[in-house]
Amino acid sequence: MNALDGIRVIDLTVWFQGPVCAQYLADFGADVIKIERPQGGDQARGVRSIKAVEIGDWNQYFLVINRNKKSMALDLKKPAAQEILYRLVEKSEVFLSNLEPAMLAGWNLSYEKLAAINPRLVYATNTGYGRFSQVARPSFDMTVQALTGIMARLGEPGQPPIYLGMGSGDAYGGMMSALGILLALYECQRSGRGQQVDASLYGAQLFLAAPQLQAYLAGDESRALQHSRRSVENPLWNLYPTRGRWVYLCEPNEDARFTALGRALGNAAFAADPHFADADGRRRHNEALIAAIEAETLRHDDGELMAAFRAEGLVASPIHNFADVVRDEQAWRNQYFLKTYCEEVQREVSIRGLPVTLSKTPGEVHTLGPQLGQDTELLLMDLLGYDWERIEALKAEGAIP
Amino acid sequence: MSGVLRDLTVLDLTRQFSAAMAAAFLGDFGARVIRIELLPAPPRKTSGRWNHEADLIHRNKQSVALDASQPRGRELLEGLIARADVIVTDWERDELVALGLDHAAVSALRPEIIYGRLSGFGPEGPDRDLPAIDELAAARTGAMPMLPQPGQPPVYTGAGAMHATAQLAFGIVLALLHRQRGGEGQAVDVSLFGANMYGSSLDLQAFLAIGAGERLLHPISRLDVSNPMSGSLYPAADGRWVTLTMPDTDRWWPAFADMVGLARDDQRFDSHEKRTGTNRGVLIAELERRFAAQPASHWRQQFQQRQLSADIIERFDYPAGDPGARANQYILDLDHPSFGTIHSLGFPIWLSDSPARLDRLAPCAGQHTGQVLQELLGCSRETLHELAAAGVVAEGRPA
Repeated sequence: MNALDGIRVIDLTVWFQGPVCAQYLADFGADVIKIERPQGGDQARGVRSIKAVEIGDWNQYFLVINRNKKSMALDLKKPAAQEILYRLVEKSEVFLSNLEPAMLAGWNLSYEKLAAINPRLVYATNTGYGRFSQVARPSFDMTVQALTGIMARLGEPGQPPIYLGMGSGDAYGGMMSALGILLALYECQRSGRGQQVDASLYGAQLFLAAPQLQAYLAGDESRALQHSRRSVENPLWNLYPTRGRWVYLCEPNEDARFTALGRALGNAAFAADPHFADADGRRRHNEALIAAIEAETLRHDDGELMAAFRAEGLVASPIHNFADVVRDEQAWRNQYFLKTYCEEVQREVSIRGLPVTLSKTPGEVHTLGPQLGQDTELLLMDLLGYDWERIEALKAEGAIP
Repeated sequence: MSGVLRDLTVLDLTRQFSAAMAAAFLGDFGARVIRIELLPAPPRKTSGRWNHEADLIHRNKQSVALDASQPRGRELLEGLIARADVIVTDWERDELVALGLDHAAVSALRPEIIYGRLSGFGPEGPDRDLPAIDELAAARTGAMPMLPQPGQPPVYTGAGAMHATAQLAFGIVLALLHRQRGGEGQAVDVSLFGANMYGSSLDLQAFLAIGAGERLLHPISRLDVSNPMSGSLYPAADGRWVTLTMPDTDRWWPAFADMVGLARDDQRFDSHEKRTGTNRGVLIAELERRFAAQPASHWRQQFQQRQLSADIIERFDYPAGDPGARANQYILDLDHPSFGTIHSLGFPIWLSDSPARLDRLAPCAGQHTGQVLQELLGCSRETLHELAAAGVVAEGRPA
């Protein structure tokens, strides 16, 4: 039994935010039908490399976030294809798109049009900047992230701003969108009425740095700026270099923890320095203390340092890279990573799995992303009741491939 | 219609931003969220300044203060659990077990309950009881060394904890929807570790799939970016930064070349292959020089005029002053009883007919003890006085 059994979602999305939103629903059992243009489909099908690294023999960018979905190819510029979509709307609970509202209106797929066909419909959009902004410009992940202020506050002072990485904001916008859709479905279950939902890339990303942005809004202007690790207020909660990996030490500024740190670092001289004897001193002389701790941590590699920290009960972690993470047992045990069969290459592959764990109706991955239009004819016949003659006519018109 | 979750009662047993904010999202959409303050309460520092964090993460909540170590306090807590639909917590497992607030104990009292927990590293595995500290989780997730320029320290962004907020709210509403459609109650776990995996870049999925690639393991200089026109950063004349996202360079090149003053048919750059392959370094150097010739404001105006996918990297003053952020209620202007007009983060999700709304700012500890115990458990005024006198409950008043 899946949480979203019987919920049908029309997924008219491209690239990342929209598709990953529908993926979150599909993982929990929603019947997601991805609608794609016949020529080439979702542009993400064309991805061939990431950071100039060849993606290998399967397109994990597209196939992972479009998993558990069906694909229907429709040329929505054609009225006959729009008619098919209307029939689909009659049999669906959710319509989702991250295309521009103007484009949807041009294809006669506005909220008013679709709600007239199915008043229970949840009509969800992922705009770039919100439904009430007078902004019409391209909205890719990084350019939107740039406007939120989060990039400018990261990194050491004087260094270039820092991008959280390809898809980082899209994944967040997708999750906000999925949450909005569930809320609207909850309401519809009770009242029988659908409504519009929007989760924009900008609105979501403003929450990526919520604690800092909220403090800034309250008047703390320093939160907008880069801060050095060499001058954090609590030296016991900080990043330290070693001869190997960096280590993140996460301890409160308390005397007992400080004493333990001194012991872990071989009774280092700084532990007896009266400047650092109490929390206030450690705060006031933070830069000197950080330099003193660093001088000690640099004498060890991260393995030695972690062993010494563990012996003293200090909370810390080495800074892993992706090669470490893909071997992390904890990630596999919790299904944050999964293995699944990939039709395209006829073997098992590794994918990002299920970040939300439900005890009785867990998510699952049964197929990777569909081939373009693979379910078009089957859905037309089985779900919408078209006969073969009509399907041939639609092909002749170019409404379907 | 009004709040979607209007019939639901949520008990908030949270300490940290991330899980508290998830509970606030439920309150934003109409749930009655009751924050439980266990007595004796630790002493609180008051700064005399606006507590902006509390008014974000505890907005739309009520507060009940009770001493669960006394039998009558325990009884009240169990009474609240028996009437709750959801528990949201980020407390540690042994602490929850000791208080009889773990999932097994709670679902024995209330089988229909949705038990949402923010953990550090997930419900299974050897590290399931490591503390829920976002820095620890982020350190394990692999992205930190990749974010800065080469030679710089790893970068902690804090974004993983915010992903966890949205994921936890999603998981809880998912379980509520399942229950509403005839299913049982259940436990929902979202971890900072898992959230950081989705909060990090697609590089993680790529490395997982490919299993190799030095460019996925070490930071790349911005002067060695894979596509000079996408994912790239250049300083403008005034020291501010511009960023470009035009992955399909064929599509954008004519307008872009015009803007930076390169010939569209410049033979060094007349194909995607040359721009991102053979002459990538030459193009980066050209763009570095050309963007440095004009201030950022010039470039923004050019990007907009030519409809290019590019912008300036802003600081927080941009959203703070952005009318679009207000129009969409991403940022709210509020009247605070003590501090006058204040600005706060608002609602990232818009529902047309049952939108999020702000009914109240954060409660002070115990502010709703009497009201909640009367309304939900039918306690009389006399009983409340007696309980308060015995130190079983406390009633707070707004500051």
